[in-house]
Formats: sequence, C-alpha cells, structure tokens
Amino acid sequence: MPDILLRYQAEIWQAIGETFIMVGVSILAAILVGLPVGTLLYLCRKGNLLENRFVFSSLNLLVNIIRSFPFLLLVVFLIPFTRLIMGTAIGTAAATVPLSIIAFAHYSRLVEQSLLEIPKGVIDAAVSMGASVKEVVFKFLLVESRSGLVVGLTMSTISFISYSTIMGVVGGGGVGDFAIRYGYQQFQTDLMLYVIVIMVILVQMIQFIGMTIARKIDKR
Amino acid sequence: MMEWGLFVIELQNVTKKFGNHTAIQNVSLTVHQGEIHGLIGASGAGKSTMLRVMNLLEIPDSGSVYVGERELTTRSKRELREARKRIGMIFQHFNLVLNKTVEQNVAVSLQLAQVPKHQRIDRVRECLRFVGLEDQMDKYPAQLSGGQKQRVAIARALANEPEVLLCDEPTSSLDPHTTSEILTVIRDIHERLGVTVIIVSHEMNVIKSICQRVTVMDQGTIYETVQIESSGIPRSDRSPERFIKELKNDA
Repeated sequence: MPDILLRYQAEIWQAIGETFIMVGVSILAAILVGLPVGTLLYLCRKGNLLENRFVFSSLNLLVNIIRSFPFLLLVVFLIPFTRLIMGTAIGTAAATVPLSIIAFAHYSRLVEQSLLEIPKGVIDAAVSMGASVKEVVFKFLLVESRSGLVVGLTMSTISFISYSTIMGVVGGGGVGDFAIRYGYQQFQTDLMLYVIVIMVILVQMIQFIGMTIARKIDKR
Repeated sequence: MMEWGLFVIELQNVTKKFGNHTAIQNVSLTVHQGEIHGLIGASGAGKSTMLRVMNLLEIPDSGSVYVGERELTTRSKRELREARKRIGMIFQHFNLVLNKTVEQNVAVSLQLAQVPKHQRIDRVRECLRFVGLEDQMDKYPAQLSGGQKQRVAIARALANEPEVLLCDEPTSSLDPHTTSEILTVIRDIHERLGVTVIIVSHEMNVIKSICQRVTVMDQGTIYETVQIESSGIPRSDRSPERFIKELKNDA
C-alpha cells in the first residue's frame, strides 16, 4: 500500500462512507420515486392503459426540466429548497436532496424505456385474462422488464457516483471531493490518481454485479 | 341441421374507429353456443378488431356486445374484468410472459381469478396435460418451439374454464405441421370441453378445416355468414419423400 494512502487512511475511509451515503440515498430515491414515476409515464402515454395527456405531459416536462439542468446549476438552484427541508444546504445530508431529485428523474426515464420495450401483446394477454391495471404492472410489466430495470439501475448508480463528486462544492464530501481537495488542490497528483483508481475499481464492481444479476434474471 | 342453443356472443351495431380509420362499421353478429365460428377476410377487413371487441380488448365507439346473458359494454370496470375471466383468448404471437416458466404462465391466470394456491398447481397440471406439455412445466418459453408456446398459451386460456375461446390468428406464425397440431388441440377443446370457439384467420385451409360457420368480412363490414361442413384437419407429413412429391406435383 502506498505511503500516501496510509497517511490519509482515515480521511479516505470517511470520504468513501460519505459517497456511500450519497449514492445509497440516490438509489433509494430512484427505486422509491423513479420506478413509480417511470411506470406512470409509461402507463399514461398515448395508447397505453391509463392514457392521460395531462399527467403524461406534466411528468414528462418535469423529468425533462430536471435532466436538462447542468447538475451543478441544479444544486445551486435547489439551495433554498434544500435549506427549507433539511435546515441547511451544506454537508452530506443536505447533499442528498439534489441527488435524490436528479436520481428519480434519471431513473424514471430508464424505467419508461425498459417498459416500452415489452411487446404490447403481453398486455393484451394480461387484460384478456381480466387483470386490473395494478395486476398488469406487478404480475406482467415489472416481471417482463426486470433485467432492463436492473441494467438501468446499474447505469443510474454509476451516474450517481459521478453526480455525488460534484456535491463536494456544497460540502457534501465524498471520494471525489477528497481527490480534489487533498490531491489536486494540494498538488499531490499521485494521491488524486490513487483515488481515481479506487473509483474505477468501484465502478467496475458495480457494473459487473449489475450485469451479472441482469443476465441471471433474464429468461427471454 | 344442428340445433343451436342460446347465443353466446352477440354484437349489435358495433362500430370501432382508430383515429380517422373505421376498422368495423355498424357490425351485427351472433355466435351460437357450442360452435366453431370462423372470421376470414383480407388484411384490414376488420376481423381481428371484431374479435378484440368481443372481450372489449377494443372498446367499441358505439353498439353493444353481449356475452351470454351479460352485456359487456355497460359493465363497470370490475365487472368487465370478471367477465373476461370466463373468456379465454390466444394470439398469433402467443404473448407469453417470457420471464415466467410454463407453470407460472398458466398459474397467473388462476392467480388473477383468486383461485387459492393449493388448488392452482393441480389445475395448472391438468391444463398442461390437456395440451400435452405436462413434462415442460419448469421450462421458460424461450426454450420451447412455436407450437409448444401456443399450447402453453392455450393452457393458460383454459385455466379458468372459459365458456368461449377467442383465437386471433392462432396458427399464422406456425408451419403447416404445427398448424395441424394446434388446430387439433382447438378442436379437442371444442369437442371435449364444449367451449365455443371463434377463430380469426386469413388462411382459408385453417378456417375450412374446423369451422362450422364462417363470417366473411370486407372493409369493416360483414359480407356474408355461411354454414359449412368442416373439411377436417389435414394430416401433415414432414417426411422428405413428401416434400419431393409436393415439389414435383407443383412443377
């Protein structure tokens, strides 16, 4: 182990912990909000089970707006909102607010996309068997799209890691922030490179795990 | 001359439009209980739409649909879902859930009908035995041939003991041999279970082989309904000698 990593061991572990919190909350937001929003986007689309132009356009616009912000600007723009609900706009906890918002917007699009790939005939079959909309979603759509949903969540998670590094700007901490403050700003280029290597390994692991699960559950 | 019982399905002045295109125009049709009724016509004649109106998979713009004593068109959503459970349907592309096993695909229709879990497995077995796939329960659709997939779909449609089986181009993506196989299963369902069958097909030989009455559709309307003597399902021979013989005959 290089000396410099040992010297900053405590800080690195703390930074990794902060990254895990930020990314973890983002994943939760993606699943708890992004999955339903993406499903609703799909269901309300023209020609689908809950066709509703108003709901579709509203959600579509909201997701588009969130996703068209350069992330740093979104963070700054949301500062008053973050302060309102977290009491502060600084620190790891506060950082989870803008992260959760970009997370649900990001993942809901991927959910919508996975659902759109399911052949319409499966829904015909479900409806002809007397399934309600809820049953169509849980017993058919989510089952049939499950590997796409996992691939999407893997891609989203990797993006969340990248977004979380930007949170260093508002004191969110995390590995990216550590690399910039201790590595780049203190001219310890080797430290920065080591951190980058850690991140690359982390992303590789997530990608590998995600793809392995997706392949395992895909019987199509 | 056969005696027809109560009608099972009746469409009265049904019209269905998709945007500016009128798929079926003011169509009235009665399908008798216990018959195998064919719907044939050129593509775009409205035969599939007419079938899909029968379980309100397509909601008509006007007109009414009766199944048995029930008028479907005035039902609440919940009642309509209940009524659909008594109407089985199979499709050209089988429409199985590819991430569910054969067993799970059949079981889901029982689940939707709130059949208790311990009764489900027996019924699933029974249905799969009927279509000759009892030994394939744990396979996924991707591991099956086209004909086997269609038989799973048939088992799924049979699970809730339907009174009516709607077949939308059931053999159109199958080869002639498998077509005969599937038609045999459909005829069995009709003969052994007394299920009324309605088949949409653009293939004349399919319609002629098992139907007793046939409605010919043209440009969204009924041209004529005729009673026929079904010609029987052709025995299909896949031996190389047969191919050679047919090749030479056609030449």
